[in-house]
Amino acid sequence: MTDAIDRRRFLKVLGVTGTGAAALSACGIGPEPTEKLIPYLIQPEDQIPGIATYYATTCRECAAGCGIQVRVREGRAVKLEGNPESPINRGRLCARGQAATQGLYNPDRITSPLVRNASGVFEAIDWDGAIPQLGAKVREASGRGTVFLTGAEASSFGDLVGEWMAQVGGRRLSYEPFAFEALRAGNRLAFGTGTVPSYDFANARYLLSFGADLLDTWLSPVEFQNGFARAHAFDAGRPASMAKFVYVGPRMSLTGMNADEWVATRPGTEGALSLAMAQVIVSQRLAPLPGDVGRLAELLGRHTPRAVAAAIGVEREAIVRLAREFANSRGGLAVAGGMAAQYPNGAEIVAAVNILNYVVGAVGTRVKFGADLGVGETNTFADLAALTADMAAGRVAVLLVHGANPAHSLPGAFQQALGKVGFKVSFSSYMDETAAACDLILPDHHPLEQWADSRPRAGVYALQQPVVQPVFDTRPTGEVILRLAGRSGGGTFKDYVQGKWRELHRRFGAGKSFEQFWFDALQQGGLYGDAPARAVRLANGIDTAFSRVAPPADAESETGGEVDQTVVVFPHPVLHDGRGANKPWLQELPDPVSKIAWHSWVEVHPDTAAKWGVAAGDFLLLKSSFGAQKFPAWITSSVRPDVLAVPTGQGHTAFGRYAKDRSANAFELLGVQANSYGGRNFSVRATATKTGEHRRLVTTEGSPRERGEGTVEVLSLARARSLRPGDAPFHHAETPEYAAEAVEWWAERQHEKAELGDYRGEQPRWGLAVDLSKCTGCSACVTACYAENNIATAGEELMERGREMSWIRIERYWLSDERGAPYGAVSSPMMCQQCGNAPCEPVCPVYAAYHTPDGLNAQVYNRCVGTRYCSNNCPYKVRYFNWYNYAERGGEWEAWPEPLSMLLNPDVTVREKGVMEKCTFCVQRIRGAQNQARLQDRNVRDGEIVPACAQSCPSEAIVFGDLNDRRSEVSRLAGNPRGYHVLAGLNTKPAVTYLARVVAAEAPSHG
Amino acid sequence: MVSLVLALPLAAQTPAGRYQAPVVTDTGDLKGPRQPIFFRHDIHAGEDQIPCMYCHYSAAVSSEPGIPSLQTCLGCHVVVSGGTRAGLEGDTGAAQAERAQIQQLRTAWRDRKPPEWIRIHALPGFVRFPHQRHIKAFGAQSCSKCHGDVQRMPQVYQVETLRMGWCVRCHVENKVSRDCSVCHY
Repeated sequence: MTDAIDRRRFLKVLGVTGTGAAALSACGIGPEPTEKLIPYLIQPEDQIPGIATYYATTCRECAAGCGIQVRVREGRAVKLEGNPESPINRGRLCARGQAATQGLYNPDRITSPLVRNASGVFEAIDWDGAIPQLGAKVREASGRGTVFLTGAEASSFGDLVGEWMAQVGGRRLSYEPFAFEALRAGNRLAFGTGTVPSYDFANARYLLSFGADLLDTWLSPVEFQNGFARAHAFDAGRPASMAKFVYVGPRMSLTGMNADEWVATRPGTEGALSLAMAQVIVSQRLAPLPGDVGRLAELLGRHTPRAVAAAIGVEREAIVRLAREFANSRGGLAVAGGMAAQYPNGAEIVAAVNILNYVVGAVGTRVKFGADLGVGETNTFADLAALTADMAAGRVAVLLVHGANPAHSLPGAFQQALGKVGFKVSFSSYMDETAAACDLILPDHHPLEQWADSRPRAGVYALQQPVVQPVFDTRPTGEVILRLAGRSGGGTFKDYVQGKWRELHRRFGAGKSFEQFWFDALQQGGLYGDAPARAVRLANGIDTAFSRVAPPADAESETGGEVDQTVVVFPHPVLHDGRGANKPWLQELPDPVSKIAWHSWVEVHPDTAAKWGVAAGDFLLLKSSFGAQKFPAWITSSVRPDVLAVPTGQGHTAFGRYAKDRSANAFELLGVQANSYGGRNFSVRATATKTGEHRRLVTTEGSPRERGEGTVEVLSLARARSLRPGDAPFHHAETPEYAAEAVEWWAERQHEKAELGDYRGEQPRWGLAVDLSKCTGCSACVTACYAENNIATAGEELMERGREMSWIRIERYWLSDERGAPYGAVSSPMMCQQCGNAPCEPVCPVYAAYHTPDGLNAQVYNRCVGTRYCSNNCPYKVRYFNWYNYAERGGEWEAWPEPLSMLLNPDVTVREKGVMEKCTFCVQRIRGAQNQARLQDRNVRDGEIVPACAQSCPSEAIVFGDLNDRRSEVSRLAGNPRGYHVLAGLNTKPAVTYLARVVAAEAPSHG
Repeated sequence: MVSLVLALPLAAQTPAGRYQAPVVTDTGDLKGPRQPIFFRHDIHAGEDQIPCMYCHYSAAVSSEPGIPSLQTCLGCHVVVSGGTRAGLEGDTGAAQAERAQIQQLRTAWRDRKPPEWIRIHALPGFVRFPHQRHIKAFGAQSCSKCHGDVQRMPQVYQVETLRMGWCVRCHVENKVSRDCSVCHY
């Protein structure tokens, strides 16, 4: 980007050139007399108006470090997509990543430095006043305790913070509320190394997760989900080699939902199950065993299935069967973390799972030490607890916080301790709880506005570049530190990052000039290499380290009567620890499991609910010995009867208009003391009391179960394997007999129509194929669709009334065994089916809904008068009505308050009140590709058009193309014997083919 | 920073027998809205025969035609001060008036304040018009089909209605798609 125009100028230019994003003008045709065209002073070299420019950079929404490409139109970042070059996410992106633009253009960003004045109120200060003030405070505090607290920062920025702290005699600490301490401690226990390895899910042939939510929140969700889909999908390049997936944990998460079998062990006994399985494998020699396995003899001897079955609540036969399956697959991979590793014995559980991996030879092949993840360098919760104690004792004079919000995740203790700190500085871009308690706020640039890098895993160096001009008067914290450290003479923070990269150039840049090396890295989004593998052996004393693999006594006893419960606090899949809470896309995105949006909830088993007389939406007051919070009940069989589960993410007391005062903060229930391995216990004992209050849950769940109507189809693995090309297991539903005559009549009319005007001749028929054996329900597609198609967020109140605008929604249906207990769920993305014989079209009185020659059910917004007949007649319920003018400036339902409107896609009309809308198959991308192809005198190639949902899908479940092109990927998939059409019996002839979910459970689950 | 490039298009130097833009003494008589600078398309595109896409640089490749940056103007006007074209015939008043306009442009460049042009041709937000497809179909000289004879306009005004019926008539005549979703999405 050129720096030739200042920011205000820049915003003005944008206002005009982004013509497409202008709201529908009420009067319609004709020029607006006052419309202005403001030219650039100097045309940016890399921008052509109307054509998007893509910049490679790195997503910083979590520590996974996915590569992204930012689509920039006329200087605005309008859409993020995965960078295919990145070995982490392979071109895919999750919902949280998609929503980064809502952080960039967030209306609640801090627009300039703020300082607390004498009366305790924040007032604006200029940078030249603020930085020296901080410098003076840091000098003053020398020797009296200076602490710089960052988020997970395995990066040059982290290095710089460390160097500066060393210079001023302070210390650096990094903090992640979910920092995987159990994983690190468990690895140390088993192998003597406290690092976090990477996992090769793609090459596993049997997957076993002990509470590790690898598809939603664990370590690197996009990477793992992509690998998971490669292993677990029915035919992802390895025909009929579908890896079975077993989930062990007290609550079914998004990850657990995708399992072929759910084993709900008693909380805290996951390690015992793992050791019992290892015992079976070793004693029956089910796998080629490593040489030193004899050292485990005594430990495993204590954990025979017979000995532990009762304690863990799983039958002995089941343990033996699981062990056999795991070993016989010759590619077993077990992971532990998340919910299974948050008990006081979490480290032992991880170590036990390590042993299971070790005995089948997974360590070194599918568990890769050496390619360690950067998040493993984060400080532990024990370190933060120690800091909190130091602060409370007045031993911290200056505290600087960047990229972390401990006042939210440690609500009581940290906030109180903050009061004892002499001078508190926040670098937050938002007025979060921590920033609100600070004395000085020096807002950082958003990651999309600045230079930086990160090291998500050993061997991978991800680069970050500014893709847009800064929106507000913010400054990169790196620059501020360089100036405070007296090093700004040495250049900008970009120069600092480049300095670090010169070191990489010396190591990896053989034969290239640094400029070329840097340019290549910038273009690719980073430097992608493999770290050498590091062999690990069983640690000494492993057999004696397991005193606590059995659950701690208090978790077993059911004292305190029916209201004393184990409460599990789990990270929300998209709001995570709460950092996503001020982004309306993420608030409006229904949780993939509960389908609840905009508020938190407590998961209660139906048996428990019946016992207590609790109905869905009744508030339960949970009271632990640390705090009390009330949550509305969501009643579900996906949680154990003796466990209540609560998500984090909500309950902010600050942070912004979308997050503040919304629902309750689950962190309030948790203790502030670190446990034996330095982590935090996310499960507590609490009493649950009905408060008598009630609310309607904001949920998009229609029916929890598919009632045999053919909405989703599921095949057993054996049945799926027996299918041959041409088989049609679901064909019976296609044309019911009673409709035969009508269908015949319809087919004749089609022939007549096909001879008219534009409909003559060969036309494409755009279609989608959705493989349900790949879809995990993660909902990345939903947020991608919001971003691409300018979909308004309706807000809590309207969503409660069912008025959300989500063009693509994820329908979740439980899978149950013969006893009715769920063992998993099928997730099915539901978008407009672009029917060949669409019920919506003939009922539109004004031809706003009509059929295009290329087979789309088009919706002409400017013709729509809002009768809503089309929606009433749509059997899929995929049409959405604009009840209000969501684009109205300052309106009651405004969805894009300034500057959020800057992320609107200029290629898509912003719909206004009274207009019906729905999925268009991203027609703007179709037309864009057609325009481009025509300029080059060719036709559109297969795979050239990728709708936003298909682009983002981490498991590559969605394929788009021309069904009339026999060689296209989508027509090949449409002919797959697993393919079916939803509600095919209605003769709607959808263009969306779903491929049935395949479940690997031959024998239904217990548990 | 991009350096100023002095590049006079070839057409501007072609001599003899060409259109001469009139001397305008009363701008109040001209059709179309008054612009902040009296920029004359008839002099640039007509008399000097500068191709439309010299300034509207992206019309052949993008939906958007591109509004020239001030730098593009200065590319010539850093040396071209005006008032010397043949059509002025020693009319010093008119020459002075034209020079004053160019001076205004240079002032805008110096002050880094680009003029705020009044938009003439605008489509509502629910219409997509891909310029590049139309240039591809009709050629680089075809701008006047929709924009009128801009080469003869001292001040630009809207000639065609740009209403849907007018679009569709042309699509029918040329036997190209009349499908709604070609333009409306």
